[in-house]
Amino acid sequence: MTLPRPLIALALTAVLAVLVSVVAGTAQTPKYGGVLVTHPLSATPSLSPHEESTVATTQQASPCFNNLVYFDPAKTQESVDTLIPELAEKWSWQDGYRNLVFFLRRDVKWHDGKPFTSDDVKYTFDMVRAAPDARARLKVNPRKLWFDNVEAIEAPDRHTVVFRLKRPQPSLLLMLASGYSAVYPAHVPLAEFKNRCVGTGPFKLKENKPGESVEYVKNPDYFVKGRPYLDGIKFVVIRDRSTQIAALQSGQLDVAGSGWNRTNAEDAKAGAAKLVMVERDSNVNDNVLINYKRPPFNDRRVRHAINLALDRQAYLIGPRQGAATFGGALLPKPAGVWGLPAAEVTKLPGMGDAAKQKAEARRLLAEAGFGPGKPLKLTVSTRQLAIYVDTASWMVDQLQQVGIEATLEQIDTGVWHPKMTRLEYQVALNLTGVGVDDADAQLFENYRCGSQRNFSGYCSEDIDRLMVEQSQTVDPKKRLALVNEIDRKLQADGARPILGWGKQYYVWWPHVKGWAVHDNSIYNVGRRQDVWLDK
Amino acid sequence: MRTYVVKRLLIAVLTLVGMSVVIFTLLRLAPGNITDIIFESAGYVEEGDRKRLEIELGIDRPVVVQYARWMGDLVRGELGKSYRYDLPAWAIIKPRLPVTLELAVLALGFSVLMGVPSGVMSAVRRGRPSDYVLRVLSLAGLSMPSFWLAMIVILVLVRSLGWIPSMTYVSPFENLGANLAQFVVPALAVGYRSSALIMRITRSAMLEVLREDYIRTAWAKGQRERLVVWRHALKNASLPVITLIGIEFAFLIGGLIVTETVFNLPGVARYLVDAIQWRDYPIVQNLTMLIATVVVLANLTVDLLYTWLDPRIKYGQA
Amino acid sequence: MATTPEALTLGLPHAAADGRPWWATLGRFVRKNPLGAAGAVLMLALIVLAVLAEPLATHNPVRTSNRVLVAPGAEFWLGTDNLGRDLWSRVVHGSRISLLVGLVSTLLGAVAGGMIGLLSGYVGGKTDLVSQRAMDIMQALPILVLALVMAAALGPSLTNTIIAISVVIAPRAARVVRASVLAIREFAYVESARALGVGHVRVAFRHILPNTFGPFIVLVTAQLGGAILTEAALSFLGLGIPEPYPSWGRMLSIAAAEYAQKAPWLVIYPGVAISLAVFGTNLLGDALRDTLDPRLRGS
Repeated sequence: MTLPRPLIALALTAVLAVLVSVVAGTAQTPKYGGVLVTHPLSATPSLSPHEESTVATTQQASPCFNNLVYFDPAKTQESVDTLIPELAEKWSWQDGYRNLVFFLRRDVKWHDGKPFTSDDVKYTFDMVRAAPDARARLKVNPRKLWFDNVEAIEAPDRHTVVFRLKRPQPSLLLMLASGYSAVYPAHVPLAEFKNRCVGTGPFKLKENKPGESVEYVKNPDYFVKGRPYLDGIKFVVIRDRSTQIAALQSGQLDVAGSGWNRTNAEDAKAGAAKLVMVERDSNVNDNVLINYKRPPFNDRRVRHAINLALDRQAYLIGPRQGAATFGGALLPKPAGVWGLPAAEVTKLPGMGDAAKQKAEARRLLAEAGFGPGKPLKLTVSTRQLAIYVDTASWMVDQLQQVGIEATLEQIDTGVWHPKMTRLEYQVALNLTGVGVDDADAQLFENYRCGSQRNFSGYCSEDIDRLMVEQSQTVDPKKRLALVNEIDRKLQADGARPILGWGKQYYVWWPHVKGWAVHDNSIYNVGRRQDVWLDK
Repeated sequence: MRTYVVKRLLIAVLTLVGMSVVIFTLLRLAPGNITDIIFESAGYVEEGDRKRLEIELGIDRPVVVQYARWMGDLVRGELGKSYRYDLPAWAIIKPRLPVTLELAVLALGFSVLMGVPSGVMSAVRRGRPSDYVLRVLSLAGLSMPSFWLAMIVILVLVRSLGWIPSMTYVSPFENLGANLAQFVVPALAVGYRSSALIMRITRSAMLEVLREDYIRTAWAKGQRERLVVWRHALKNASLPVITLIGIEFAFLIGGLIVTETVFNLPGVARYLVDAIQWRDYPIVQNLTMLIATVVVLANLTVDLLYTWLDPRIKYGQA
Repeated sequence: MATTPEALTLGLPHAAADGRPWWATLGRFVRKNPLGAAGAVLMLALIVLAVLAEPLATHNPVRTSNRVLVAPGAEFWLGTDNLGRDLWSRVVHGSRISLLVGLVSTLLGAVAGGMIGLLSGYVGGKTDLVSQRAMDIMQALPILVLALVMAAALGPSLTNTIIAISVVIAPRAARVVRASVLAIREFAYVESARALGVGHVRVAFRHILPNTFGPFIVLVTAQLGGAILTEAALSFLGLGIPEPYPSWGRMLSIAAAEYAQKAPWLVIYPGVAISLAVFGTNLLGDALRDTLDPRLRGS
């Protein structure tokens, strides 16, 4: 005898309901309370993101601020599709991506109680783009370039802001979502932000001991109801890696890993099996600067020989301890949005058979007039920090293996950038991290003719033209094609050989939930309003 | 005696002034200044902005003017502002001083506690195996780089006891137990080296004294050997030891610098290294002058103590 | 407390007054100073290591490889570092650097300081006063601090490290030589030489200077250990000898920061090398001092 249909339907529904409730019940509800303790990459020179260029600052300042828009912490790959509203409730492109309008929230207050308005946004970004009528001036302004294309910023009413651009630029939205693009209050003098913080963010600054620790306490008036979960966050500066690892293992730290390599992460996990380890890509790469303007490096054969001599596999095993991703000028897929396809990456110089490539390098050098009787002599310059020196020593050895008489020069930190900017070097090992995985940011900063950070002196009108073209291209597929074309040309030219893109590691105790780590950036996850402790 | 004291004081002041010139000049010989470092940290160089920053910090003025300004400030007790953190130098140095002081005092204490008895024992048992053992041990202390000793100690402690250097400094007033746990090992590491020197000096002084007639007389009088050795000999050996402690101050600072780095203690010594790398002139200059003043004062005190304790010693000659 | 010139002359074995062959005197030295002999052996071993670095090393000390962080074993006697470089070879070649830096900076500082001390002690008067104060100033600063600031000022390089350390040693040398000179200056034979019309320079160099050799050699051996340690500390702090020279001190700094727990051999062996080298110089220095400068005997 079969059951009547309605009864079967009812039974199925009941079963479904039970299943759903069981699943829902096991999904965890975040708990409130607790202070999370972690270590930053290093001490931050100041708490002002607009005036610094190190992740140490975004780590330790982001809990205090908000952006107009931000990248969703829960999505590992950052892109235009993962943007979420923060200070802006809604936004819209108008006039063919020439005007960007933000509709701001009305219920936001600064930590000192004053209301947040569109004037604060105008103040902040007029300052960053160094507008002639800006009310404040940044003494040090690393990202002025990002807002080069902004013609004017208007605040038609207290809750609307309009960015008027000179030409279309879809990337602007992403640059505003970077951890560096915090919104400052117009009513607080800029000098205050060196050691204090007045923001709108989920945490208020409790105590700042410069060089030692930064401590935050929950902001009870945060505009996102029910956030943050934590009562506070504390960043403790620990200089020594082994101490960081030991502190994590002993429970003095909840989360650790900023600046770690694979060995460190594995060591940490080996000491305490319960620890959760996460490995992600990052948009930080080791690259080689070759001085274009100085003979013989203006000879393409010499540049290519140098590129070929650096065996990327050896780079992976030695300096990188087995953890790096290979790619071109932009972060490769699948972690990055704009990188070259994997098939092309395997054919880049330095990626193939080491012996063959080194032989080819020798041949090129011979063609250019160098050989055993007349070896190419060069100096590899690098910054005077252990990680750079290690990789540079490796480089020197690789070059020596193709008959180049390479020596190492350590340059004092204070004069590194001036020397690079003045092109007072031959070959240099460099590290580049760009605030956001975006073609505009990457390309304009590092490859455009005359850009401040174009340390190799590379200049190609053709590439410049293509760069501007891709910046205005709205269709994502077309834009990707253009970006890849640029990348291909840059690699063929040996514009700035990329050794590899580093990986990032985080290790935490299982009671830590919601600690976001993104695949294509290290700078844009610092808000930490979704982190909670299961204790 | 009074003229001697005054003369020594004057010399001390002169020495300090001379040192200030040396430090000042050396610092400015170093390539780059704070503006370069600030821009370095920002990842780019904008010459116009940088010059503006220089003017604001007063580094663009001629060197002599800068020196005069510094001296003027110092005399008024003004320690200036840290270029890096934009906070008063004193605010940065003050919380770090107790850490270094505690470490230094504990280290010196350990060095005396370890050095003097072993020096005495070595002298008394001269020529016997225990003498050689003690001498080798003390020489080992002088031969090991103090930072290496610290590293090995940490390695052993971590491996065998699962101990780690503490992350944050705990003041003795907050929690004496935790504080001592933090400081005992580094103090021993630094003190070991100084104890070696003290041991050698004590041993040599003891040997000299043990040859003295009046010691032999006391011996003949039948006093218990130990009392003879300890009371008479120690009193006379104390002079060179005190002198050594004065001199040791200077060596100690070096040991403190590396030990604070390895043990992650937030003291002034470690901060000095940072400040040098950041070309934070006010901090480096004032910290170094502070250290120099301490050293000069220590030497002065020791010299005066010396004269006062042993009127037989005349000064003013070679 | 003035000692006679004879007591200050070099007590080298072959100059013994009793006419015995040099090896007998050497044997006596060894028996009387077993520790000193041990020190001499250590120093000799260090020199041999430095001179014969190429044949003694098993691999190229700067050649990187894919064999990273390998534990000590048959192939790599002391293991490898994080770039796959053989530690034994690096330690062996590092001896060259340490010895070079130690010796050159000590000699440079001692000679420079010695000249100043000689001048200061012999001429006396204002020159003496001024140079005394200058030396005091240099000495009032702790060695490491002065070396740090100098290294920062000059930049990290082999030459600059040597200069920084010698600047630190010079005042101490000046003080020792000056003391000797002041003692000797009063001797009758010096006065008679002057009375005979011998020029100042000749008196200074031919009569006074040789008699300061005893304390001078003691000073050099005493400072040599200190020089090696200061170089190690400077390199540890990042301001000493840069790559690619394998400096023992720098091997410790990188190892300490990164791999101490995972690869303890990186921390142990370079430190042992430094300690043994300095230990040797100290032992030898002590023994030499006992023999050459009886006034300081007894330590």
